[in-house]
Amino acid sequence: MGTISSAFSLMSGALNADQSALSIVANNVASANTPGYTAETPNWQENAPIQINGVSYGSGVTQTGATSLRDRVLEERLDQQRQLASASGARLTALNSVQALFTPDSGSASAKAGDIGSDMTSFFSSFASLEANPTNNALRQQVLSSASTLAGDVSNAAASLNGQRAALNQDASGITSQVNSLTGAIAQLNQQIQSTSPSADAGTLEDQRQQDLSQLSKLIGINQITTENNGLSITTTSGQLLVSEGSSFQLTTGSAGGVTHFYVGTTDVTSQLASGGGELGGYLTARDQDIPSVMNSLDQLAFSVSTQVNTLNDSGTDLDGVSGTVANPLYIFSQPTAVAGSAANMSVAMTDPNQIAAAGLGQGAGDNSNAVAMASLASQLIANGQTPTNYYSNLVSTLGATVSSVQTENTAQNASVTQLQTQNDALSSVNLNDEASSMETLERSYQAASQVFTMLDRIMTSVLNLGVQTAVS
Amino acid sequence: MRVDPNYISNLATSLDQAQANQEQLTAELSSGVSITALSQNPTASGQNVLLINQIQQDDSFTQSSNLVTGQLQVADSTLGSVVSQLTQAISLATSANNGTMNASNVKSIGNQISGILNEVQSLANTNYQGQYIFAGGQTSTSPFSTSNATSPAATIYNGDQNINYLETPNGQKIQLNVPGSQIFSGSGAKSVFGALNSLVADYSSGAVNTAQAVTDTEALGTAMNYVSQQRVTIDNSITQLTAASEAVTSDQTQLTAAQTNLMQADVATVSTQLSLSETQQTALEDVIAQLDSASNSLFSKLQ
Repeated sequence: MGTISSAFSLMSGALNADQSALSIVANNVASANTPGYTAETPNWQENAPIQINGVSYGSGVTQTGATSLRDRVLEERLDQQRQLASASGARLTALNSVQALFTPDSGSASAKAGDIGSDMTSFFSSFASLEANPTNNALRQQVLSSASTLAGDVSNAAASLNGQRAALNQDASGITSQVNSLTGAIAQLNQQIQSTSPSADAGTLEDQRQQDLSQLSKLIGINQITTENNGLSITTTSGQLLVSEGSSFQLTTGSAGGVTHFYVGTTDVTSQLASGGGELGGYLTARDQDIPSVMNSLDQLAFSVSTQVNTLNDSGTDLDGVSGTVANPLYIFSQPTAVAGSAANMSVAMTDPNQIAAAGLGQGAGDNSNAVAMASLASQLIANGQTPTNYYSNLVSTLGATVSSVQTENTAQNASVTQLQTQNDALSSVNLNDEASSMETLERSYQAASQVFTMLDRIMTSVLNLGVQTAVS
Repeated sequence: MRVDPNYISNLATSLDQAQANQEQLTAELSSGVSITALSQNPTASGQNVLLINQIQQDDSFTQSSNLVTGQLQVADSTLGSVVSQLTQAISLATSANNGTMNASNVKSIGNQISGILNEVQSLANTNYQGQYIFAGGQTSTSPFSTSNATSPAATIYNGDQNINYLETPNGQKIQLNVPGSQIFSGSGAKSVFGALNSLVADYSSGAVNTAQAVTDTEALGTAMNYVSQQRVTIDNSITQLTAASEAVTSDQTQLTAAQTNLMQADVATVSTQLSLSETQQTALEDVIAQLDSASNSLFSKLQ
């Protein structure tokens, strides 16, 4: 049968267990606002019953530490979504700077500096004005000045695009060291977790690892693979190993084709990283796809306008009766040699307005047929099968549509991140009301155990005195 | 079911969104423009480029048409003067041809016609803003000069047959000039200068070969009618230009209205949205204040 002293031990066990559980609750409350902290719940374990004379007696409770309230699937899901959201976020920021170069012109009649569409129209219109009086110096000056406004705005836009691309390149390179220090830290945590807690949740260590994973997910796209003994391997989304349990592999950079490329070992993973996700993915997508595509359109436009206008001007007769020759061509714009770089290098080569060839070949200075031809370039399909204005209009709306779709994507992904974060927080973060109620429960339980202990003490006193009132009090 | 204890931070995100929304709406109200970035309405942004292009083309055409209208009107009134000079020459010649005048009177008529010839030549050499308007494409040199080396004297055309056109934004071509040779020195009986020079030669000696003088006078009449016909071409251009100008102006008005409609902020709508957004913000702030008060934690109830 059970004894009074076994009841004592049972009660002291209960008091110990309550104390231990109270300290877990206290730790939860203390860490309520610590980033990455996962709420812990005490583990209670019933002690093995004792058989005395065939009767089974309970032997109380033991507190066997704490378990973190963690859902690894949810956490990994959250990380994945975070990778997508931060990729589209970084891309959106870059695209917003790009579209700021092409702000819609709200004015109507007059050309405004900085708006390539208006510049182009006023350039071609200046030829239309020249039709009215082909020998007029003011109208000729107008052609050259609108040409230099157009060339200036196009080359400025191209220079800004190049600058933005260089800035993105730098941002992308800067991420490498953060990624390497995070993968290093994760490898180290893997070792600690595998050695201290191979079969159960590693609590704080695991919180730290998860925190590092979240940060890594913001930076690049990764896959997580759980290995034995609570270890973890990380690859890029394309499968390049970054962390293999206790060891990490450095992401290195090198210059190729004027931009930074990224390597794991000797493998170039730049394009995989671009589509992988994370900030790096966003930067690389903007650097290698979005900006080059806008730049290419701008180059095409600059190339078409420059070469077509040059060809026509070269084939006419200027105010002094001179026509272009191979040795001395009559070019208004500096003649581009290739499409690439045309926008950045667009400039006006002509300085003398008399050299504008308003007259047709062999015609007198009063002829305007070549001016008519140059003015009508505005309505000809010279830019990739479109009129220059339509081409620019297309460029603008395509860019706008890209920005808009990335914006929508980003909003949706952020909403999804918030939702997953809410789910994860509901499970894992410290709920102070829950803690207050646990505290109250544990306090009552502790008080009850103390009371029982006191009563047992009185019973023990009675037993020791065997009816004599005063021997032991 | 467990709930997310960090709901306040989610509410704060909503509050941020409401404020960002208000910022955008305020920017629209203060600038009057509804599209400040391409992504807000990509289609409208593309459309805007095309509309502005057309509006500017129209604007530029209106300016050009003002310029050339001046030139065409000068050409028209010059030809008007030429016709009246020629009328006078014909009546002088007719009076000389009726055989009642003595030699000195005939000579004097010859001199008067010679004066008219000079006057018509100077009219044919009219320039507008430094450009000779009847010289075809050779606008920098005076198109007509007379050589007295032969008898009758010969008036030579130094210009060319070039015709300039002004293209309207919708591609219509309007003729801007008529080459001087076509007006003043057409072939055969159409030549003004040929007829005038012949008449001057006819009357120079005082003794008139009446048959020849009558033929030459008739030729001058034919040539004058031909000048009037050429004048019609100029008048037609002026009419076309006026019509095109009016069409372009009305087109421009419509395009400007469309462009304004596309890009301008609708103040009433934006104000309503702003007001709604403000209400939402106030509500969110109240909710946060309510939820955040300390009395909502169970800890505050524990003794």
